[in-house]
Amino acid sequence: MDERLEQALEFSNYALTINNQKRNIRNRVAQLQIVHYVGGVFLADHTTISFVKTLIDMKHTKFIIIDNKNNPITVKNIKELLEKLIEAYISATTEFDIENEKLKKARNIKKIMDW
Amino acid sequence: MIEYSDKKGVCFFAYNNSQIDYVKIAILAAKYVKKNLNLPVCLITNEGSESWLEESQPKKVINESFDYIVITNDEMKQNNRRHFDSPWTNFSAQFNNSNKHKIYEYSPFEQTLLLDIDYIVKTDTLLKYFNGQHPVCMFDNAMSVRNELPNERERFLYDAGIKMWWSTVVYFDRSDYSELFFNTWAHVADNYEFYQYLYNFPSKLFRTDYCVSIAVHILAGMQDNQTHLGNFDNTALVNVSQKDDIIETHGLNDWTILAHDQTEEWKNILVRLDKQDIHVMNKRALDRVTANLMEAFND
Repeated sequence: MDERLEQALEFSNYALTINNQKRNIRNRVAQLQIVHYVGGVFLADHTTISFVKTLIDMKHTKFIIIDNKNNPITVKNIKELLEKLIEAYISATTEFDIENEKLKKARNIKKIMDW
Repeated sequence: MIEYSDKKGVCFFAYNNSQIDYVKIAILAAKYVKKNLNLPVCLITNEGSESWLEESQPKKVINESFDYIVITNDEMKQNNRRHFDSPWTNFSAQFNNSNKHKIYEYSPFEQTLLLDIDYIVKTDTLLKYFNGQHPVCMFDNAMSVRNELPNERERFLYDAGIKMWWSTVVYFDRSDYSELFFNTWAHVADNYEFYQYLYNFPSKLFRTDYCVSIAVHILAGMQDNQTHLGNFDNTALVNVSQKDDIIETHGLNDWTILAHDQTEEWKNILVRLDKQDIHVMNKRALDRVTANLMEAFND
């Protein structure tokens, strides 16, 4: 086989593998960002965290929030929800960062697999 | 009012056949549950499989793995299933699953997570559904370890058919809706041939996935949209397919999988999975790594 093609195919296989690993990590991170709170389901992302923080800043203590499933959820302790959202966000992004750093250093399939 | 032995717990059905030692794999699956969910585990099996379990496994391992063992003597439907172990090897065996809906009767728990023995719990993600708002939860979508969708017949019961729900992982409580759901599942299972004609799904294999999909459809008013049932927040069931293989395991969670291409089976890629609950459909592959993983539990 033409050496140039061999190298191209090797890189192609590497790209396929590393992209798949990145998608797996993103799926895991998305799972970690899901917060269940008083019967509602919330995504610990920038938008939700900012919105909840705004409600606190405006001195709201009790509020009805539409959750990810489009259900109205009465949140009596909004500070507690914020804490849970932040906790989930930090846990998800920390894991994302650790796994991402590992992948950044892996320049071939053997490195990805730790072989 | 019925008193249950425990509030929350996990159940596994395991009936051995001539090809697969289901109870052995159930021990491995139970160990993962104990480690990551920290819940009591109940094994539901028959006399023959239980005898083999006692003969083949040390008493200590059995006691560590299962808090309850329920012996059933249900008559099973003739159900010959073709299994793959990589794209190049296959075998057939009787698959005993026709009493799965009876979990509502067999489970000693008030809130139950029913798992297939090939579902390996590597995270604590499922714990949150014990406090969720849905009386019953199942996955309604799946993907391969290559992040690809399953084939069409594992997404819809036929080309213009209803959505498929997976009975691999079923969470339920003791609400009226749960009872109704399991009664409907039992009805569909009892009249499988009729529903096969009505919903036009493939014949031969008795699949509990089809039974639950039809039960969901009926209870949702024959519509796709329903609100009573949870779908684990729309996350996907991650399938290591029967044609994939487990190449090696590092410790308990870090597994390397050889994942095949569904359309061009000789095109494999390597996938490394860590901290991800997975449905390992290739049971022989799981069997091959069981000894290593059991050792890792002892380390």
